[in-house]
Amino acid sequence: MESLADKERLPREIMAMRVAKELPDGSYVNLGIGIPTMVSSFVPEGRTVFYHSESGILNCGPLAEEGNEDIDLINAGGQYLEPVGGMSFFDSAEAFAMIRGGHVDVTVLGSHQVSATGDLANWMLPQRGVGNVGGAMDLATGASGVIVAMEHTDRNGEPKIVQECTFPLTGKGCVYLIVTDLAVIECDGQGLTLKEVAPGWTPEEVQQLTGAKLTISPDIREFEL
Amino acid sequence: MPGTHLEPASVAQRVSQELFSGAVVALGPGLPCYLPDALPDTSGVWFIADSGALGSKGGEAHGSAVDAGENSASLLSGGSFTGVVDVAGILRGGHTDIAVLQPSQVAANGDFVHWTSEETAGLFAPGSAVDMAYGAATVIAVMPHQYPGGRSNIVSQCSLPVDGAGRVNIIITDVSVIKVTAAGLELVETAPGWTAEEIIAITDAPLTVSSDLKGMTFNVPTLEPTNKVYSSAIEALSDVLEGSIINVDGFAGPGGMAHYLMVGLRDLGVKKLQLISNTAGVARVSAFGVPNIIDHSILVENNQVVKATASYPVSPSASRPSAFEEAYNRGETELEVVPQGTLAERLRSGGAGVAAFYTPTGAGTLLGEGKEARIIDGKDYILETGLRADFCIIRGYKADTLGNVVYKGTSRNFNPVMATAAEITVVEVDEIVEPGQLGPEEIVTPGLFVNRIVVRPADFSAYLEI
Repeated sequence: MESLADKERLPREIMAMRVAKELPDGSYVNLGIGIPTMVSSFVPEGRTVFYHSESGILNCGPLAEEGNEDIDLINAGGQYLEPVGGMSFFDSAEAFAMIRGGHVDVTVLGSHQVSATGDLANWMLPQRGVGNVGGAMDLATGASGVIVAMEHTDRNGEPKIVQECTFPLTGKGCVYLIVTDLAVIECDGQGLTLKEVAPGWTPEEVQQLTGAKLTISPDIREFEL
Repeated sequence: MPGTHLEPASVAQRVSQELFSGAVVALGPGLPCYLPDALPDTSGVWFIADSGALGSKGGEAHGSAVDAGENSASLLSGGSFTGVVDVAGILRGGHTDIAVLQPSQVAANGDFVHWTSEETAGLFAPGSAVDMAYGAATVIAVMPHQYPGGRSNIVSQCSLPVDGAGRVNIIITDVSVIKVTAAGLELVETAPGWTAEEIIAITDAPLTVSSDLKGMTFNVPTLEPTNKVYSSAIEALSDVLEGSIINVDGFAGPGGMAHYLMVGLRDLGVKKLQLISNTAGVARVSAFGVPNIIDHSILVENNQVVKATASYPVSPSASRPSAFEEAYNRGETELEVVPQGTLAERLRSGGAGVAAFYTPTGAGTLLGEGKEARIIDGKDYILETGLRADFCIIRGYKADTLGNVVYKGTSRNFNPVMATAAEITVVEVDEIVEPGQLGPEEIVTPGLFVNRIVVRPADFSAYLEI
């Protein structure tokens, strides 16, 4: 029998594509570093999403083309951006007033762990003794909802979705949707519901790689793009 | 028969004698609005109107500027517009030297009543007078000595709700100058034609007469803008002391970072610095920069840093540690990790005179431990305190000689916030221009927050030689 560890999982692009489907037309969205950053490339046609970045810019354009890099035009991940009409600049206090004040509709973040009640732990690995919180705690607390986009298990194959986080928390009960390379899981603050599984995966297999109890949705389906 | 009552312009001339070069002066409505006209346009005094105009001057209409009395006002070269929240921050944050107000009553102990009068008693409309009175180092009350009916505006005790308790330092009326002292009111000057006895007779509060009683004069002092332009980073930072707390600007990458000032600070070699900064130097070891870009690491490597207060203190990758992380692991530095939005708001609060605030960020986490927690409307909050530094080094694009600063793109980030939260703020820019060359609506950091300006030399490289 094929081991679950070796079984093919979804690539990051597909995860990003799946998250992109969740962004409402006209919404203000903050994308974290990593897989979340890729989401902007997959927003369905006809939908307009305004990107906010903690570096102090609203309505971010696409990544800058080679040769067009400008140190005065970056996103929070330090990537260079293309200038676009309708972008605006502001200072850090205002950037975070937008976040903390609930003016940013959706945040997409990566994470080390997510708990059964939607707690997020993404800023510090205890073994390092020091961590970069950056804007993560503000985003977790302030945005109207956090979508987590992450691999289902860590590099040792351990579940990243757990009953209770063992790493230092970023925010409590802030995650409402988890998109991994195996599944789409809803968090309602009480527990987790498995909504979609990657092609070739069964709900039982996903449960085996998950550290918290999953309720299987009555209309469970394959990843929907 | 006493002398006549002074005209408002003469009172303003007398008030002008209380100003000094570079003074930041908040003007309430009424008689205070005559003050800017008493001075030449080049005085360099910063007038603040609660309408949001900085560097405004009463008189002919100009654009959409209004003063505190809703009169149209002209904006001096180098003036700028700002929002009412920023104005309140300027007032509350200790950036104002003098407030000039027209109270309706001043009491012997310096209490004053601003908007309320007996006709409007019950209505309470302090406007920004309260912020002005509590934020300014010195409060000057400018007022007619008496109501039109002859009753005294200076009283033993205010008969109406006070807007500022014990805040008035000097009273300048249309007939006298009176100092508010711990022992009570002291008459120090009388208007032409008035005797001390005549002033005492129309004053409804005990008044002692100064042994040095003088006649009021109306000569206007010669004031000049403070020179803020320094020739080098080292000159601009030469008085940074060992143990100073320093705001260091920048988000994470090379943009918005005052590389030239950082090198100056390193070359000065001053030790035991405590940095308040978004990162503790990650540009050299992360995707935010390039391997040989100058960042905070040059100070850490020179053993100058004993503490960092930062949101993103270390390299994103443990396998590529920054100089700060290595020093931290050796036990040479302290670290206070603060969520980025909390860091920005703590600086904003520090700069705006707000001691502390409740924020949801960090509640229930490691970073909220030990902090006062409170549930407000069913939501968890923690108390965070304002931050303020001794020095601040920021990176602007252009500044005018008054210290007004504009920024480029995302390189604004922490710069404008940090500029408000330090005793001495030094800005590094590409270019210095004359007042008026930066548009009032374009100015992000008004010059009253900026003490020193240096130009990044054309041949300066932000890259280390390797």
